[in-house]
Amino acid sequence: MVELTITELRKKLDSKEISAAELTQAYLDRIDAVDGKLESYITVTPEKALAAAEKAQKSIDEGNATPLCGIPMAIKDNICTEGVLTTASSRMLENFIPPYNATVMEKLDNAGAVTLGKVSMDEFAMGGSTQTSYFKKTKNPFDLSRVPGGSSGGSAAAVGADLCAAALGSDTGGSIRQPAAFCGVTGLKPTYGRVSRYGLIAFASSLDQIGPVARSAEDCALILNTIAGYDFHDGTVSKLPVPDFTEKIGMDMKGIKIGVVSDFFAEGVDDEVRQSVLSAIDSYKAMGAEIIECSMPSLKYAIAAYYLISSAEASSNLARYDGIKYGHRADVAGSYSDLIVASRSEGFGDEVKRRILLGNYALSSGYYDAYYGKAMGLKQKIREEYAHIFEKCDLIITPTAPTVAYGTNENIDDPKKMYQADFCTVTVNIASLPAISTPCGYNKDGMPIGMSVVGKMWDESLVIGAADAFEKNFARQGAKL
Amino acid sequence: MELDMVRYLSKLAKLDFTDEELEQAVGDMTSIIGIMDTIKDIDITYDPYKDNHNVYLEDLRKDEPMPSLPTDKLLQNAVNQDGCFVVPKVVE
Repeated sequence: MVELTITELRKKLDSKEISAAELTQAYLDRIDAVDGKLESYITVTPEKALAAAEKAQKSIDEGNATPLCGIPMAIKDNICTEGVLTTASSRMLENFIPPYNATVMEKLDNAGAVTLGKVSMDEFAMGGSTQTSYFKKTKNPFDLSRVPGGSSGGSAAAVGADLCAAALGSDTGGSIRQPAAFCGVTGLKPTYGRVSRYGLIAFASSLDQIGPVARSAEDCALILNTIAGYDFHDGTVSKLPVPDFTEKIGMDMKGIKIGVVSDFFAEGVDDEVRQSVLSAIDSYKAMGAEIIECSMPSLKYAIAAYYLISSAEASSNLARYDGIKYGHRADVAGSYSDLIVASRSEGFGDEVKRRILLGNYALSSGYYDAYYGKAMGLKQKIREEYAHIFEKCDLIITPTAPTVAYGTNENIDDPKKMYQADFCTVTVNIASLPAISTPCGYNKDGMPIGMSVVGKMWDESLVIGAADAFEKNFARQGAKL
Repeated sequence: MELDMVRYLSKLAKLDFTDEELEQAVGDMTSIIGIMDTIKDIDITYDPYKDNHNVYLEDLRKDEPMPSLPTDKLLQNAVNQDGCFVVPKVVE
């Protein structure tokens, strides 16, 4: 039963075919059996999980179950969980026990969801492989010699390996969608401002967004229904009404206009990936969708714009780590300044240091206009280009990543190669748009290929509905682990 | 990127590198700045008035005191604390 969707598990729980405790225990047993190889969980909380399952069972027995009641989930380790270790996969936060819950955790707890534990990620969400984690360098459930993607690699691998029913991730430049594509599962990055970031350990505050990783678009909708909405603690969350994101599940694709931006299929995209996504677009055409050719001239500058903006924000956000209030404190004698420098130098890993240096460079006197200023100008231009495309299209379909999952030791020492691999996903964050990645094929080695369905701001329902329409006609393969 | 620039940036960032790490950082940053330099091709300026569409300054919550976390919870993650955050002596 661990391989079932939330929708299927809901029926089994509500019909009393299984209890919430039995379901939770099944996932805990599988984590015990399999995660030694996969290394997706940094912290497993069996006692808390079973206590939450007992509580959920009462709601089920009373006929008060909400859609996530009793559903076992994994949480990315940059989302604060009161009383439970939250590391952001960094030595800097090796012993950090949050004194409060992130808003999304309050919402999941109130809905009766069961938290199984915290899953690995790239350190401070900086990376696309989960190999920059100080703790668990998670593997891909389809092939343990390959990466699960990142930064939410633990979330995607845990879902792909049936170590939870669903997970929360966070997405700053593709960090939900790319690992979802690499691990053969579905991942949704909501519109910026749809979900509260309160309690999310900040990377780049104008781009970060929490979202679900699950086995279907419908499951993503159920989770988004629970975690979306205004929050007193986060001024960037929209006060717009939150719709029922399942409203377009089972929709008819006839007449839906899908934009195909040729720039996303250009050089650098593997042939098998290109063919698989183009074939998925053909499937939409067969369902009655209208395909419209588009272009995005600024795409070639997107990687630079994204890394300059995100690193500038990261250098500011990570300035809070001084070793004094919380986080790693170096054991050095010396001045206040010596303590801060030593704590940061010992606590941060190489990739985090690179991003901080880049951010300082982009913001420093004499370089600000040439780098940060231009990157922000490009952000506006990319938004305008998306707006232009969405004047004639309802959705856009792109590859989620230019390749399938690569080997665990590839790219990690080559930041340039690592950064360029993000070109399919970063513009969505720059333009604040919602996008979902769902599997659309497998390469000759059996590795999953993902496509992204991108929508207008606040139009998650259509994005989810379109992904669901494809999923209903697609034979998804599970990982053999 | 020159070694002196990396030294300057690491000072701004409050990071310390060994000579070997500095050498590695110069190579990495030179490669990364190579990608960033692609934006030098484009003539574009940033208009701050077009931005921040998610922040509505006219709709901020009232600036009123609210309950906050108790001191013991705020101090629970400090390695060195004694009812307050303890730092090295800063005043002679």
